[in-house]
Amino acid sequence: MRTKFDEQLRQLNIELIRMGSMCEEAISIAAKVLDGDNTVSTERVFSLEHDIDELEHDIESRCMRMLLQQQPVAKDLRVISAALKMISDMERIGDQAADVAELTGYVASTVAQGKLHITKMAKAAVMMVTESIDAFVRADMETAQKVIRDDDTVDSLFIQVRKELLASLKEEDDNPEAILDLLMIAKYFERIGDHAVNLAEWVQYSITGVHKSDEHHQDL
Amino acid sequence: MMTKRIFRAVLGISFVACLAGMSIAFTVLYSYFDGQLSKELKNEAEYLAVSLENYGTQVLEDLPESSERVTLIDTNGTVLFDNFFDPKTLDNHADREEIRQAMLTGSSKTVRNSDTFQKQTVYYALRLDDGKILRVSSTQYTIVAVMSGMVQPFLWITFSILMVVGLFAAHISHKIVEPLNQLDLEHPENNESYDELAPLLTKISWQQRTIREQLLAAKQKQEEFQMITDYMQEGLLLIDSGGEILSTNHSALKLLGVKPELQIFVGAHRENVLTLNRTEPFCRTVDAVLKGKRAETVLELDGSYYQMSANPVVTDGKVEGGVLLFVDITQQKQSETLRREFTANVSHELKTPLTSISGFAEIIKDGFVRPEDIPQFAGKIFEESQRLIALVGDIIKISQLDEDTLPYEKEAVDLYSLCQEIAKRLQSAAESKGIDFQVAGQSTIVSTVRKIADEVIYNLCDNAIKYNRPNGKVEVAVVGSSQKALVQVRDTGIGISAVDQRRVFERFYRVDKSHSKQIGGTGLGLSIVKHGAAYLGVQIGLESTEGLGSIFTLTWPRENDAPALEMKQD
Repeated sequence: MRTKFDEQLRQLNIELIRMGSMCEEAISIAAKVLDGDNTVSTERVFSLEHDIDELEHDIESRCMRMLLQQQPVAKDLRVISAALKMISDMERIGDQAADVAELTGYVASTVAQGKLHITKMAKAAVMMVTESIDAFVRADMETAQKVIRDDDTVDSLFIQVRKELLASLKEEDDNPEAILDLLMIAKYFERIGDHAVNLAEWVQYSITGVHKSDEHHQDL
Repeated sequence: MMTKRIFRAVLGISFVACLAGMSIAFTVLYSYFDGQLSKELKNEAEYLAVSLENYGTQVLEDLPESSERVTLIDTNGTVLFDNFFDPKTLDNHADREEIRQAMLTGSSKTVRNSDTFQKQTVYYALRLDDGKILRVSSTQYTIVAVMSGMVQPFLWITFSILMVVGLFAAHISHKIVEPLNQLDLEHPENNESYDELAPLLTKISWQQRTIREQLLAAKQKQEEFQMITDYMQEGLLLIDSGGEILSTNHSALKLLGVKPELQIFVGAHRENVLTLNRTEPFCRTVDAVLKGKRAETVLELDGSYYQMSANPVVTDGKVEGGVLLFVDITQQKQSETLRREFTANVSHELKTPLTSISGFAEIIKDGFVRPEDIPQFAGKIFEESQRLIALVGDIIKISQLDEDTLPYEKEAVDLYSLCQEIAKRLQSAAESKGIDFQVAGQSTIVSTVRKIADEVIYNLCDNAIKYNRPNGKVEVAVVGSSQKALVQVRDTGIGISAVDQRRVFERFYRVDKSHSKQIGGTGLGLSIVKHGAAYLGVQIGLESTEGLGSIFTLTWPRENDAPALEMKQD
């Protein structure tokens, strides 16, 4: 019985790594397309998003089955509940990557994006996602902590991008529609950063049993 | 366990023996006493009968108090005398069994149990000569009563015997087992124990030796394998059917970017291979191999390219795992890219002059050119074909240097005079641009291949003039020391930016692409320098500031060939 459960936990771990890897790929392709890289296509992002959704359902039912059949306790329970939370964050990252990919079609020709910090922001967000998955895969507290710290960078980059977009809107040197789209893209990346932080926090939770939100409550 | 069994057996046997002995003794004794009693009754009756005949009934009256019960019964069954009861209270005894029997046979014996079976009465009846019956009876405990009376002492005896036997059994069983417990199984043959154990001990000893040998062999195999794989340049991963890592080597961990402090194997907990790399091609390859298919892919890791080959391990048609091999193909990939670029460039460079030549020739053929203009057109065709020849010549040189099969012998070459010679050849070119061309230094002799050294220095000087500003300066300095010889070509030209410095030695690479046509040249000059220098074992240094000029430095090492050269000089 136990060995079966261990096997199930292992499978869950592999599935999570796969889902994380898909998110990484989707978001990095979206960032590349935004950067004007012609070697990748947005089609791949959409198919990845679809796969990620399917995998989410798969993992969800897997977790439910384990909770019901095995009634895990202590660390096993933490791992499974963290997995349940993580997949929803990963699914959101996948969705937003698809949204970004869709919007890039409209902004690709605009001049502004080259000068903006949006590319840098995209790269920072991609790195955060990659590192949060790394933290999960290696059960690495330090990397998780770094992801949580990096969110500030992405946030400040978002504010900067917003200012830049506002400035170019005032100068009317670009298509205003594209500027709005770029703003949305920037916001998506900012959200992706937040999801990466969530992932990192759940990684920490599954290792230590303490979630960041609990600490806040204690402070209050 | 064994002690317990021996103990129980001894105790059990003692208990059974005790029980059997007692019951046998009891049965024998009881039947003896029973027989004795009947005999006594009979004797008493017979004595009484004799006494009665001789002395009359007075004998009965004088019976002592302690006597057995004696009854005298008349022929009709009426009780005439009884020493325990008043005869009048007793009813007729004619129907009593012993009386009836005695009347018929002369004497009889019967046993009657009391209501409770606790006691039994034994009657002995004797017919007297006058027909009266004399009966003597005695009451005694029945066997059941005797037995039940004996239960308690019997239990006490059994208990005390068992106590003693228990102590003894514990001791004895311990004593039997003790040598077994003290067996030294590490050295089975050194034991002095029961002879019966000898074959077992020999067998154990033999097995131990076999196990030791096998363990040693297995360990050696494992070490051998680890050695081989660790010194392999290629990365190697073994995974089981669940995708968990069974074995790795240093290269694999290094190229997959696993930090050394990260322990992959923590006890029995094995990591899944996807924790090392989770990119899509990697996952796909692992999936394929675990389904029993061979798979190959190219992974890009940290800017390097690796050919990942995965082979399934199949036993009895079942996939047991996989072998993943990673081969660094970065160099291959790079040279492939270079070659592709070179081919593309060569075709382009060859096509340009050919197109011009063909164009001019076509115009002449069609008669669109006035006869007086023909020399001019022919001149252009000549120029272009010269360019083509130069280009093909350069390509041949480069490919020869590339092949590394040039059959040149090293000889003593004076770099200073070589430079002066080159300066002379380039004199006219320098003058036409108004460039001041200087060669400084002193005679410096190195062992090298003259033809290639000439080619290298010539190309550097040629470039220094070509890419110089008008009325600029080119200085060639030759410096020699005991360890090395330097040739430095310094110009005041356009200079090369830091980004371009890395690429100028590539074939057909031009810093200023827009002006290449005016300057001329094939774009292969520095490439020839690079390949030539590599052939000679000469280092090239490049310092440059954009807009100010460049300094190319060729360094010949001299350590080894210096003495040989001195001899030659003599």
